[in-house]
Amino acid sequence: MASLPSAVPSHPVVFTTQTPYTLPSQKFMIPLDWKRYQLSQLINKALDLPKPIPFDFLVHGEILRTSLLEWRTEKGVGEEDTLEIEYFESVMPPQRMSELPHEDWVSSVSCRIPQHFATASYDGHLRLFDYSQNLVLDASVHQSPITSVCIVPSPPSDTESRILASSSHDLTACLTRIYLDSETPTASTVASLHLHTSPLSSISTDASGSHILTSSWDGLIGVWDTSIPDDHQVNLERGDDRKKRRKTVPANIKRKAPIAVLKSHTARVSKAIFAAGEPAKGKAYSCGFDSTVRTWDVESGVCMNTINVPERPMLDLTETPDGTFSSLHPRTALGKNQVVTGSYDGVARLWDLRSTKGAVTSFRVWDGMKVLAVDWVGDVVGIGGEGGMEVWRIAGGS
Amino acid sequence: MAVTGLGKVRNKRKQEEVEEVEKGPFAGAVDLEMHSEDEVEDEDEDREGDDASDDGDVDEFPEIDAASDSDEESDEEEEEEDADDLDEEDTLDENSDADSDLHIFPKSKKVVSNITGQTKVVYPEIEPDYDSDSSTEDDPNRVGNIPMHWYDDLPHLGYNINGKRVLRPAKGDELDRFLQTVEDPNSWTTAFDKNTQMDKPLSAEELDIIRRLQAGENPDAEYDPYEPTIEWFTGKGKEEVMPLSSAPEPKRRWLPSKWEKQKIMKIVRAIRQGRIVGSKPTAADKKQQFYAIWNEPPSNQPPPLPAPKPKLPTNSESYNPPEEYLPTEEERKQWENTDPEDRERDYLPYKYPALRLVPAYDQFIKQRFNRQLDLYLAPRIQRVKLNVDPNSLLPKLPSPNSLRPFPNYKSLQFMHTKARVRCLSISPDGAWVASGDESGVISLWEVNVGREVKRWNLGSKVGAIEWCPRLDACFLVAGTEERLHFFIPPNISPAMLTATQSILAPATLPPTTQSSIKWISTSGAAEDGPILTIELPSASGLSRQLTWHRKGDYLASVSSSETQGSVWMHQISRRHSQAPFKKIKGAVQMVLFHPTKPHFFVATQRYVRLYNLAEQKLLKTLMPGIKWISSMDVHPSGDHIIVGGYDRKLCWFDLELSEKPYKVLRYHSRAIRSLHFHPTYPLFASSSDDGSIQIFHARVYSDLMTDPLIVPLKILRGHDVQEGLGVLQIKWVNKQPWLVSAGADGSVSLWCS
Repeated sequence: MASLPSAVPSHPVVFTTQTPYTLPSQKFMIPLDWKRYQLSQLINKALDLPKPIPFDFLVHGEILRTSLLEWRTEKGVGEEDTLEIEYFESVMPPQRMSELPHEDWVSSVSCRIPQHFATASYDGHLRLFDYSQNLVLDASVHQSPITSVCIVPSPPSDTESRILASSSHDLTACLTRIYLDSETPTASTVASLHLHTSPLSSISTDASGSHILTSSWDGLIGVWDTSIPDDHQVNLERGDDRKKRRKTVPANIKRKAPIAVLKSHTARVSKAIFAAGEPAKGKAYSCGFDSTVRTWDVESGVCMNTINVPERPMLDLTETPDGTFSSLHPRTALGKNQVVTGSYDGVARLWDLRSTKGAVTSFRVWDGMKVLAVDWVGDVVGIGGEGGMEVWRIAGGS
Repeated sequence: MAVTGLGKVRNKRKQEEVEEVEKGPFAGAVDLEMHSEDEVEDEDEDREGDDASDDGDVDEFPEIDAASDSDEESDEEEEEEDADDLDEEDTLDENSDADSDLHIFPKSKKVVSNITGQTKVVYPEIEPDYDSDSSTEDDPNRVGNIPMHWYDDLPHLGYNINGKRVLRPAKGDELDRFLQTVEDPNSWTTAFDKNTQMDKPLSAEELDIIRRLQAGENPDAEYDPYEPTIEWFTGKGKEEVMPLSSAPEPKRRWLPSKWEKQKIMKIVRAIRQGRIVGSKPTAADKKQQFYAIWNEPPSNQPPPLPAPKPKLPTNSESYNPPEEYLPTEEERKQWENTDPEDRERDYLPYKYPALRLVPAYDQFIKQRFNRQLDLYLAPRIQRVKLNVDPNSLLPKLPSPNSLRPFPNYKSLQFMHTKARVRCLSISPDGAWVASGDESGVISLWEVNVGREVKRWNLGSKVGAIEWCPRLDACFLVAGTEERLHFFIPPNISPAMLTATQSILAPATLPPTTQSSIKWISTSGAAEDGPILTIELPSASGLSRQLTWHRKGDYLASVSSSETQGSVWMHQISRRHSQAPFKKIKGAVQMVLFHPTKPHFFVATQRYVRLYNLAEQKLLKTLMPGIKWISSMDVHPSGDHIIVGGYDRKLCWFDLELSEKPYKVLRYHSRAIRSLHFHPTYPLFASSSDDGSIQIFHARVYSDLMTDPLIVPLKILRGHDVQEGLGVLQIKWVNKQPWLVSAGADGSVSLWCS
């Protein structure tokens, strides 16, 4: 690194990283006209990587997109200050892998079943696709639009069946058991969750799959276990209502009651999730249209903490490995330090949480159609919305 | 010298000659004259003429009264004698005409002979001496009228008639001259005679002329300024006897004028009757006539403007400018190629090594001419420029950024594909929007996502939709042609559904009342249709507007018909409809319930009337000054209303303040279609046919002294104007600063903050 062209002024720089590709902590004199490409080459050469890996560089919480000199003059950083530059593997431009057209809007997608995508649609159907874009399963679960779907992780012993939990406008959430192993996958709704008096907005499970959280427009968050009861826990209120329901709902769907109700939101709750990880076990987060993010102790059903952001109705919530993240963007999904958001203008964006000025990359999914759901597992991003579902590949991320 | 004057001198001298013996004491003075006379012999002839002319009778004085006169006149000065002469001349009129040919030859005189008593002509005597003929007079110098300084260097003065030199008279030195002035008392009346080169005493006549000139009189002693008037036609015997014209004397010469009398009598009568009043003394007359002019303060008229100063020359205009001012070749070419009026400056700097090499300035005339033009066009009046900061004239309004939140972008759009959307309503919890279009479709969709979850098709134009404000029940009412339909949205909780059904379609109907309006309950099971329908009287037209009382029991509807029954008040619990107004002036445009009091706003075409429903009387008539009111909304506090008109005006009324608008806003370029106050945020919005929505901040203070603060915040554009219609209705979302707008282009947009 000493063989730098002396004509160009240089700047002292220290490189740090959280990737496995670490440089010795040493001060480099970097010419000021270098840009990302030269820096990336420098690291590749210094590490003698067999296969070149492109890197992106974060300086003072901002992705370096210009030359160092331009960045320095823009920020007014002195010549003598040693810069700490963090590098991470670049995100390649996302590629569209497949399109899964739907007749109606897709309100929620899940990529958590290996080799499959689950979608929930506004026509009340749950659909399951495999990676070769075949419709594996199509189950009509609700009479009303489904707003959210999640995969309830099953115990390792149970491999052939899975439980999908879906929330709907019809004031209930349903647990649907699907059998994938057989030749023709089948689905059967096994339980309906009865608590809310307004349409449900989201449903989510904890990591172990033992509990479910539902959030609703009536401001309540329901906590449920995933066991299927033997008998109805909730009675239907009205005779005429029963008459109506009899016609549409099979009798083998067991009606479940919540084990706890979290009550503190003053407006519609848009999302409620369990906290991931061992230390935060028993905690849940929720956000809502009352511009608050709340932390709950699920056991006692008490709101432990409230973050109030005035005049900012929260639409979605997701959790980083070390905390929560909520967004005004309609739908969010998180990687490590990186987050994908989808918005109503049909564009999904990838953000780096350390650099909030601008999106790392953005990709136009549909023109003028809304993105309603994103899910990101591995390098696969499933995007659901007005135009059905699309699968994109984001390489190089976490 | 006047000849007559000289003549008189001689005349006197003659007398003196006669009396020479007796006038001893004056011998010296006369002597001097004598001397002069000796030398001026050429005037003897004049003397003769004089004698003959004016002293014809005086001639005789020496002869007749010489002795007697000598005593009297000898002591007198020459002037007195002249006066005598004049007197004598006056007395002898007949001789005056003889003065003119005084010089030619001696004048004859008619004298009455002493002897015969007859008149006789007497000629003056001619002295037959050598001197008697002027032609023989001795003139010492015959050089004529030449400049005498030609002889200054010569001993003689000229030549006499014989060609002999006339020698210069002996001239004494300065001492002699001084002595002479001392000794000779007449020396101050002498004058230098150029011809003879010596001093000569002035004659008495000459002195008299000088005196007259000094006194400003006529120099002619004989001029009489007070000659008697000659009366030619006046006096006895000189009257004109014959008339100049033969016309008889007109009658009007001696009769008083009848017309004048009538005129005067008319004026007299007018004065007596008081029709003519003498002019009173005006203020100008009373004004003090004399005043100290310097006591007045100086005039505040500005002094005349100084002429604009010509521009001072700069360095580049020097004859020897520094090098950097000299144009390069390119600049020179460019300067030459541009038109004179386009040039930046009207000269090119040029360097001369010395001032003496500078040629004449070829632009001089043009420059002077331009200067004249500048002066000619210079302003004559200095206008005092007001140094007003334009920003200070604007009212101090807070920045829109400090008034967040307010909607500023279009979040999503819901399309009605078939027809324009006339109306929309938002559920009280702010989750659902119901929008109705002109093809009869009512769509129920989620505010957040914009996904339609329910659709009702009514088949006829939907004019109004209103969601019931009750929280224990959930239904909406839509107004179509002559009908009001009640709908229950899907996906409501069973308890709510039961409550709603019990309200709209109770099991036991209340007793029917006398009304022309039918309430038709369909069976509660029919989910796809209205649960309740109210049939308005036929020919009442489209239900243009619906409004709920805040408690959700009363519903007022406005139909588009111009007839009397356009306003109906429906009570849900009693299933009863009534027309609140028996008679109402003008077509009702809109009605509104007061949010807190039992008051009712009715907007007709020109006025907004406020009725008290409990006491059934008119409280107020608001006059917005709008030609055609289109929309109106009442502030949640109930003390303010806004009224919009098709003539683009938006009026804000403070009900406590006045019946005239507190503020009139005219920001839209087309007719205002809809207005809405936000129920909780201090916001209101107006929509217009120009396709724009305007958001205003409207803060109302409970303090009566503070005026409402209205700040324009944002113009939202996004709706297309179709067939001259823009945004037809706007509604705020409860609890959120979001706005939903329905446009004529079939789109319903949600605007988020």
